[in-house]
Amino acid sequence: MDFFSIGLTLACVSAAGGALWRARTWFLRGKTFAQSGGKGPGMARRFVGGLADLVLLRRTLRHGPARWTGHMLLVLGFLPLLFLHAMDEIITRPLFSAYEPTLDPWQFLRNLFGLISLTGLVILALHRITRLKTASIPQDWALLAVVGGVLVSGFFLESFKIMSPGDFTRMTDDYFPEAESEELLALKTYWARENGVRFTIFLPTAPEITELGAELHEDRCAGCHAPTATAFVSRSMTALVPSSFNIADQGGTIFWYLHLGLAFTALGLLPWGKFFHPISTGANLLVRGGSRASRPGTSSLARGLGLDACTRCGQCSLHCSVSPIHKVLGNPDILPMDKLADLRLHLDDRLSPAQTASLVEGSHICTECLRCTQVCSAGIDLQDLWTASKKALAEEGRAGVDGEMRKSTAAEWARELSSRKLGRIGSTGAGLADRAESFWGCVQCTTCTGVCPVVAVSEDPSRDLDLAPQQIMNLLRMGLKAQTLGARMVWSCTTCYKCQENCPQGVPVADILYELRQMGADILRKKEGRA
Amino acid sequence: MKYAYFPGCKIAHYLPAHGKSVEAVCAHLGLELIKPEFSCCGYPVRQESRDASVYSALRSLALSARLGLDLMTPCKCCFGNFRHALHQVGQDEKLKFRMKNFLTDEGLDFPETTSVRHFLQVLDDNYGLVKDAVRRPHKGLKVACHYGCHALRPENITHFDDPFAPTIFERLVALTGAIALPWDLRLECCGYPLRGRDETISGLLAARKMAGAKASGADVLTTACTYCQLQFGAESGHPDRSIPAVLFSQILGLSLGLEPENLGIEPGEAWVRFAV
Repeated sequence: MDFFSIGLTLACVSAAGGALWRARTWFLRGKTFAQSGGKGPGMARRFVGGLADLVLLRRTLRHGPARWTGHMLLVLGFLPLLFLHAMDEIITRPLFSAYEPTLDPWQFLRNLFGLISLTGLVILALHRITRLKTASIPQDWALLAVVGGVLVSGFFLESFKIMSPGDFTRMTDDYFPEAESEELLALKTYWARENGVRFTIFLPTAPEITELGAELHEDRCAGCHAPTATAFVSRSMTALVPSSFNIADQGGTIFWYLHLGLAFTALGLLPWGKFFHPISTGANLLVRGGSRASRPGTSSLARGLGLDACTRCGQCSLHCSVSPIHKVLGNPDILPMDKLADLRLHLDDRLSPAQTASLVEGSHICTECLRCTQVCSAGIDLQDLWTASKKALAEEGRAGVDGEMRKSTAAEWARELSSRKLGRIGSTGAGLADRAESFWGCVQCTTCTGVCPVVAVSEDPSRDLDLAPQQIMNLLRMGLKAQTLGARMVWSCTTCYKCQENCPQGVPVADILYELRQMGADILRKKEGRA
Repeated sequence: MKYAYFPGCKIAHYLPAHGKSVEAVCAHLGLELIKPEFSCCGYPVRQESRDASVYSALRSLALSARLGLDLMTPCKCCFGNFRHALHQVGQDEKLKFRMKNFLTDEGLDFPETTSVRHFLQVLDDNYGLVKDAVRRPHKGLKVACHYGCHALRPENITHFDDPFAPTIFERLVALTGAIALPWDLRLECCGYPLRGRDETISGLLAARKMAGAKASGADVLTTACTYCQLQFGAESGHPDRSIPAVLFSQILGLSLGLEPENLGIEPGEAWVRFAV
């Protein structure tokens, strides 16, 4: 077993095994949500839309020509390289009887496709550096680096092979063993001049020797070798190695291992993170069938696939409606791209309690505005995932700030909170609830309670609401903030501002209740150790 | 007239008909709507963080200011929160300082001059224009106007209309030929803010209002707020909806002679039979 077969076998085992494991999560994760049932439009109609999205990258095009151009070039260059170059022994040679990698058009095309691919990759890397730097994580750079490494090392490998006198000797030993030393010298002269091989010996320049070399080349080599000049990238790159450096043979070996090693690494890493997106995203685009709306009745398998299809392109987070909230609160789970990653971990039961609390906060801050679903290059029905996961989290007893507050009674909160210093509400609100002036005018006339529609529809306010609005004002006036924070009235306030508008004494009742809720949210944020 | 149009988050997925009808009406009246990519108004997060809520509002106002336009929204809650945010930064220098820092970070200037208008205010500002544009006035359509809390109160912040005896909605309804009926609960809350928080009370508030609107003899209850419509409309999935809830933009659109399908009115919506 040599390097090639061991490397290829390991990479294939890793790719196939990992892909199966990834596909397994499509079934498992989707099942965690409640089934929503129902069926979308017909398979055939969707297939065309999905295929168009996949082949033309239509969704990517909608949000910036730069990323589309980069990705298109990368794929258009990379796929021919993968099939015609990397898999030449099983595809190209059986299809084209006269195939030799060193003959044109193959030699030329290899350079052309490599260059196209590399150009695309550079555009994508620049896009990420300029627009997505802060949102990027190691795997984003790793994918760019590995693919870039395969391409660049390929060029270097070819470049060193062009220069290598060792390879020349190996070829003449195999294909021209009967050569006289004079003939060999003539051939070397020709190859050094025309094809850029770098011999360390002195080579004659006499025209008759060159002529002989040309004849021999035509006779012996040209059948399998196009001029190396058609490998226009690699041949040009030989200029990078100073002529005094005699490293072509060693360089060729090093880059052979590097090129193949990186290619095997890329294949082996296929199931890891976004390396898998050519498969998962492609499948998701087909399943979504070109739809940009959120479709009710997504099957659990489609949800599982959607969860796995993120390419981390960052468009959702760049366009997210609640990104200003993320800017203030700093919780990464407020933005869709990170929230999706943490949602996956949560479904796999691999999220720490503090991270779960952050996920719940992000999940509740989302306003379900559909924008991420519309901009997603991978066509993930994020809207459906957000609503389904919010519901699932609530059913697990994680219903956000409001749900946490309602888990304990007003009295329990009073006990818990009275033992610690709550600080001034000024840190979260305008400080109205702490300011004695807020309540100076309050004469406990009960107008606020009298006009409150929540009090009005409650059959038994003392049971449903713990405290009436005017009682809350009175407790706050006495500095008993802890007694009020858990009261149902605070959390079931419908924010209609009737109390405030009707107060004859100008007490900002509704604003104060808002402040208490903001403070409750702040207390929980600290308690749960959220970001 | 030209406005920066702020649809708010819920329209795209939950109530596209609202956006569609408001845009159709504005286009018909020659009110140009510019649509920059706005973010959330900050209303939904106001329960959790004052800074986050105020900043969300100011960012969108700053985007309008950059366009040199006033911001127009068809949602009362968005409207109210924009007003509230401006009030908060006007009251609190430290808050304003923090907000300015966030804005500067995004390359935006503090929106000193941008004003916020609700869709109804914009129509009222162009009262004569709307009046002249009515082609097919409704005959005999009786409506109960639901005002929506967050535009109306607190009046010292929202400056929408008289908080105890507002008239703007009835005035505009009259333009369409429909009859706005008086009813006791027209200024009461729809209950949407308690959705997902206290479903029982939320449901009770909605049921009480709809029963009140029905009792007033109205054919339909009309709203001019995305959240209120979501609470009363077919979208709510509420079992005891005693009266159809209709977006005012749709009632107005029909009276302007616009086609139902351009207003997001589904074929066979029961209330349309009243609107002839």
